[in-house]
Amino acid sequence: MAEHVILFAGPMGAGKTTAIRSLSEIDVVSTEAANTDRETSDKATTTVALDYGEIDLDGLEKVRLYGIPGQRRFDFMWQILKERAKGMVLLINNDAQHPLQQMLEFLTEFDDLYRRGGVIIGITRTDVTTRPTVADYAKALSAERPDLIVPIFTVDPRNADEMRMVLMTLIVNIETRESFGPLEASL
Amino acid sequence: MSTVPAHHDPEIIANGAEVLANMKELCSSLVYAALLTDDGFEVAHLPAEKVGDNRFASMASSVQALSDAVTRELQIGLSSYVIIASDHGHVIQRRVPQHPLVLAALFDDDETLGKALSISRLSAERMSALLT
Repeated sequence: MAEHVILFAGPMGAGKTTAIRSLSEIDVVSTEAANTDRETSDKATTTVALDYGEIDLDGLEKVRLYGIPGQRRFDFMWQILKERAKGMVLLINNDAQHPLQQMLEFLTEFDDLYRRGGVIIGITRTDVTTRPTVADYAKALSAERPDLIVPIFTVDPRNADEMRMVLMTLIVNIETRESFGPLEASL
Repeated sequence: MSTVPAHHDPEIIANGAEVLANMKELCSSLVYAALLTDDGFEVAHLPAEKVGDNRFASMASSVQALSDAVTRELQIGLSSYVIIASDHGHVIQRRVPQHPLVLAALFDDDETLGKALSISRLSAERMSALLT
């Protein structure tokens, strides 16, 4: 059985834990702690090490889902988990203070994961605020990182079907690149 | 506990500094110690003159959460303490009873593990008593 390790990254409050809980077919392993940083995200708990879930795709592929903490002070966990991942779902909450900047910062941080696997972006909480639009994200991406080809979706992390579609798109992307070789930076 | 986050609460910070200083008096092999919130913010650290960059607190928070996850998965109750043994010392960390705080300490290899465990337990209990 083929295996994929997929990282769920993004700022605090983007919906990483929720997305993994929506997707996972096993009880999710969570490492949540009481959140004392209510200015950044007004939620009761926050992930401080990792989330872990699994999903089986038609009995042919197992996908291991790892969620990482959103705060930079936990970036040692980013490094540990990045090394074993093949791809990344980057979730950006649209109501974050600087969502376009957040997207670009995470893409830079995980650039090597893009190079050897694949990345997909899910914009969350578009029901809370409609701007920036997907077009704004695409425009910022092409302006700042024309070397990257990254699909961008709006997604609700609570919706298992939507998250599954995002995940499948990423896996197809990764497998295509594995078949045809890594993308050149100039693409 | 007040609604002000522990790492911004002057009283909790002062209590934490006092507990850590007392810990050092009891145990000269204590190299570094930090009191942190469950989500990895440093409340106090020792030695006081050492500039904390919160790195130790963040890592201790992750380690604590992972140890809790393991005990939860194995259904063996709550984790009491965590030990990381190395060639030149050991890190011991444990929760402050009844509070969302963790005490983490690095002892050099002159200390016996038993004494280090005992001192960390007493210090965590003392911190809990000061907050209650």
